[in-house]
Amino acid sequence: MSPSDCALTMRGITKTFPGVKALSNVNFTVRYGTIHAVVGENGAGKSTLMKILSGTYMPTSGTTEIAGAEVRMRKPADAQKLGIRMVHQELNLVPDLSVAENVYLGRMPRRWGMIDKAAMVRNAAAVLTQLGASIDPRARLGDLPISQQQLVEIAKAYSADPRVIVLDEPTSSLSDHETAALFAILRRMRDKGIAIIYISHRLKEVLEIADEVTILRDGNMIETRPAHGVTAGEMIKLMVGRDVTDIFPKSPSVIGDVVFKVSGLSDGQNFENVSFDVRAGEILGLTGLVGAGRTEVAKAIFGLARLTAGQIEIHGRPVKIGSPAAAGKAGVVYVPEDRKLDGIIPAMTVRDNIILPILRQICKLGRISTQQDRALAARYAKDLSIIPSDPQRRIDLLSVGNQQKAVISKWLSANPSVLILDEPTRGVDVGAKAEIHRIVGELVAGGMAVVMISSELPEILGVCDRVIVMREGRACPALDRASLNDERIMALATGEEAA
Amino acid sequence: MSEASIAAPASAKDSRFNRGNRFAQFASRGALIVAILAALLYGSMASPVFFTSGNLVNILTSMALVGIVVVGMTFVLVVGGMAELSVPATIACGAILALSLQPEIGPVAAFAVAVLLAGLCGLVNGILIGYVGVNPIIATLSVGTIVLGIVQAAVGGVIVYGTDPETAALVKGRVLGVPVIVLVFVAIALIGNFVLARSFWGRWTKATGGNYRAAEASAVPVRAVKAGAFVITALCSGLSGALLGLTLQSARPLVGTGYEFSAITAVVVGGVSIMGGFGSIPRSIAGLTFVQILTNIMVLQGVRTPMQGFVLGLLIALAVALDAAFRKRGVA
Repeated sequence: MSPSDCALTMRGITKTFPGVKALSNVNFTVRYGTIHAVVGENGAGKSTLMKILSGTYMPTSGTTEIAGAEVRMRKPADAQKLGIRMVHQELNLVPDLSVAENVYLGRMPRRWGMIDKAAMVRNAAAVLTQLGASIDPRARLGDLPISQQQLVEIAKAYSADPRVIVLDEPTSSLSDHETAALFAILRRMRDKGIAIIYISHRLKEVLEIADEVTILRDGNMIETRPAHGVTAGEMIKLMVGRDVTDIFPKSPSVIGDVVFKVSGLSDGQNFENVSFDVRAGEILGLTGLVGAGRTEVAKAIFGLARLTAGQIEIHGRPVKIGSPAAAGKAGVVYVPEDRKLDGIIPAMTVRDNIILPILRQICKLGRISTQQDRALAARYAKDLSIIPSDPQRRIDLLSVGNQQKAVISKWLSANPSVLILDEPTRGVDVGAKAEIHRIVGELVAGGMAVVMISSELPEILGVCDRVIVMREGRACPALDRASLNDERIMALATGEEAA
Repeated sequence: MSEASIAAPASAKDSRFNRGNRFAQFASRGALIVAILAALLYGSMASPVFFTSGNLVNILTSMALVGIVVVGMTFVLVVGGMAELSVPATIACGAILALSLQPEIGPVAAFAVAVLLAGLCGLVNGILIGYVGVNPIIATLSVGTIVLGIVQAAVGGVIVYGTDPETAALVKGRVLGVPVIVLVFVAIALIGNFVLARSFWGRWTKATGGNYRAAEASAVPVRAVKAGAFVITALCSGLSGALLGLTLQSARPLVGTGYEFSAITAVVVGGVSIMGGFGSIPRSIAGLTFVQILTNIMVLQGVRTPMQGFVLGLLIALAVALDAAFRKRGVA
């Protein structure tokens, strides 16, 4: 390919965050007039790469060339000026404005200092017609179905006359029919010479729409090849093939009776008819792609969200859980996925965070007993080797791994029989990760039943006894670890293999 | 890893944020004590009247009634409830009921009913804010307006007078030279400080204001805690209103006007974050002390009322801007 064909060339892109290397030496080239798919597991580096491309992040090293000239983008506005447009999974539109106003948001045509509404509607209509979308530009955006709102978002990007359009999981909320309509529009834009970057977990669709495919794995660019002639199986192999190094394997433990059983759980929105059981001494893995409904299931079990149907049993007795307090009393606890949002109270000390769920038990006449709270916090801090073990430190001054250990110990103080961990090692460094695995192993050896939600297949395969794969709100029956490997899980998660 | 990458810089930001915030805490605490001392020094040099026991008791007395409200308002700000604007109505409720019910049920029962009914207004606020999810400003504004309307209708818009000179004498009396009202204020402040700093309820209040979702996920009954802050404030303002009515031996429906702003001013100047999660009763009272001394000096110096308002407004803006600046610098 000649250089003039290239809309975008990224060379040697490396991005490190404290403790994590998100991208290492990635080369990535997209040509004009092609649809270029980027695939990889959760956490392979796709979003980081796109955030660099859209000016949200600056790379640690590496260069970006647009249309043959090297550029430095410091903020999203820089990328937009260079003709790079993003269409996010969550649409950035204003529901109370009209379609035309949304398309020209922030750059409405003006006349005599006033917005020229007629011109705006005319232009919007022209753009929508070019894309082959039959949407009334005067309609209120919020009245349109989500699939049409997405077309408006694409029209907004297209109307800015871009070089590159990035689409992030554009089909996640579309039916098959709507997906076909979207693909027709994407092909039309491609034929007008726009470079389209298409990010998706749905390999079948990638094969249908893409001209070229780039595969990322663990922050490395594995391969770019023409989509023609590639099979889904090959792609999965390239996406997951890697060494298992940072996993602390679970030591065999005595697996006892069923402690925890859920059946037919639905919330009427994110998941449907989910059933599983966990036995004492067992770690049950719950995996699937982001958005498959794993976290929603856990939150509903823990009383943070409502269930519309289903039953929960602990030690064979059905329980009703309406709040986290009730869940804790029943013996079920949940360590959330997002530490910053759901896990820690940043302005409080480690100790105050740890004792929060059991505050009532260590009170005398309403007064928090300082002796008991000190003793408890010190014990858990020591058990989980939170470093530094000073429980008086503010929790947000700890490292991410130590914060996570503190959040786990927060719930251990309530002496649960079922522990649900949601992405317990996300964002923690390798050492802390192994340590968290060791802690979970010890808890299980002590007879606890653990449900571990994780997107990391090595973790799932290395630590769990049985695994459930969720896809689009439904769960497959639990599979034995022995019968699983990376590729089979990915196949189940992407729908290549029917559950 | 893309998720990891999001988490990692966020935590880096976090620690910077908190270093900034810690500095802010230190600066605001130290600065306030220095400011109070400076005001005392200036006052005693500028006016021969200032450092007399008469004037100091004056300051304390005028502090006491607002101070009782300040104790409640601190809970509202710490829990992340922004502000409680029905204070004037609950004060009026307390003042008018404490006087008007005297002939029917006796002064003690009238006092109790006045405070409890004010607390009931707080419960309505609390349910609207904590359970229904109404914005605190709107909820307290509308409940306050409604309650004030009811009170006005009940007394026919006229002034109510006290009929029991004994309780009046008791409330206006002194113990060892300290006015009874000041003693009540000190007692309420001590109780408030115990609850906020030492009890599980106070810990829950800080957790809810510090991170609502994490508190909820830690089995803190966040809705009740949020509602509780408004009940506490209403009980405090009811008490303050009842004492005010007994002191004046007369009450109009608009008797509590301005108390909400005085209380919010004190809490904010004391360095309690308007964002919630952080604050203490001693801080709020330090803020109140500074504002009261400053006002007293301005009165003694003959500064005109519009100018006094100007200075106080500037002070609030400065305090909030400092809070925001420290946060922004930490996050930027």
